Amino acid sequence: ASGSLSNDTIPTSKMLRLFVLLGFAVSCCLASERQFCCSAEDRHIVEKQWEVLWGDTESSKLKIGFGSLLLQRLAKEVPEVTALFKKVNIEHPESGEFAAHSLRILNALDMIINLLDDPEALDAALDHLADQHHDREGVKKAHFKTFGQILHASLPRVLDDYNAMSWRSCFKGILLKISSKLQG
Amino acid sequence: MKIVILVLAFVAVAMATECDNLTRLKVKSQWRRAYSHGHDREDFAQAIWRAIFAQVPDARGLFKRVHGDDTSSPEFEAHALRVLAGFDIVISILDQPAALKAELDHLEHQHDNRKIPDNYFDAFKTALLHVLPAQLGRCWDRDAWSACFDLIAHGVKGH
Repeated sequence: ASGSLSNDTIPTSKMLRLFVLLGFAVSCCLASERQFCCSAEDRHIVEKQWEVLWGDTESSKLKIGFGSLLLQRLAKEVPEVTALFKKVNIEHPESGEFAAHSLRILNALDMIINLLDDPEALDAALDHLADQHHDREGVKKAHFKTFGQILHASLPRVLDDYNAMSWRSCFKGILLKISSKLQG
Repeated sequence: MKIVILVLAFVAVAMATECDNLTRLKVKSQWRRAYSHGHDREDFAQAIWRAIFAQVPDARGLFKRVHGDDTSSPEFEAHALRVLAGFDIVISILDQPAALKAELDHLEHQHDNRKIPDNYFDAFKTALLHVLPAQLGRCWDRDAWSACFDLIAHGVKGH
């Protein structure tokens, strides 16, 4: 009798698990338009993993290096981007202008990540960044898509702990919002 | 006796803080602690701006576009963090002259047609020098901050 009982309970618990999983999947997709599955837990993971980059007083050199690498890689994959960063002297990545700009971009990422817990202020900040990019002629949505790919490929190389699912789910919404006011 | 006075005078001169290389390093590390993360950072920004507007209420007029009348609004929260992020960049490259110059030029350019009176910068300084020790406790050096803030403000004002 005990055999039949356990035979019964296993499928039931499996079914239950499946239902719970399905339930999660559905709720995630329904909410996806607004929050892109960037759940509270995802946000905390991203914030915590990102903090590592900022712990040291001398981390500005690392940040400049990382930001500069991201932009240079973007320019390599999408050559038309080089012209867009001409004003900040991308031709001379070692220059003060490009170092400052690299840090600006990385600091904007930092600001966004630290605002993840305050959705309304985050929205206002992203909206402002969208305006700033809208004003730069030639910046395209496709550039942000590539930037996202470069970011996801590069982050695990500087962060020991990197949860790809959480980062992707949060940054999908962020990059879409920053590029939302672009034409192309 | 004269020698003692001379020595004291010499010490006093040596101690008058400038924003020199060592001072910059000190400011950098103290800032790293004060700037903090997440909600703490929002509260830090909020405290600075409330202290500014308490001193120069008219300054709110400059921030109409970002809802300066309500420092708790999401628009102003975002703005306050943008300003601190700019400040963070400058502080973190205090010891990298080329990048520092580029960033100060960038900030000067962003401010140059906003007609900001000098006393608003003073209010910012006073606010920062009050909120920082509240954040850091005893481990902070007012003179170091005062000297390095002046250097930054000078760069942003362009005069």
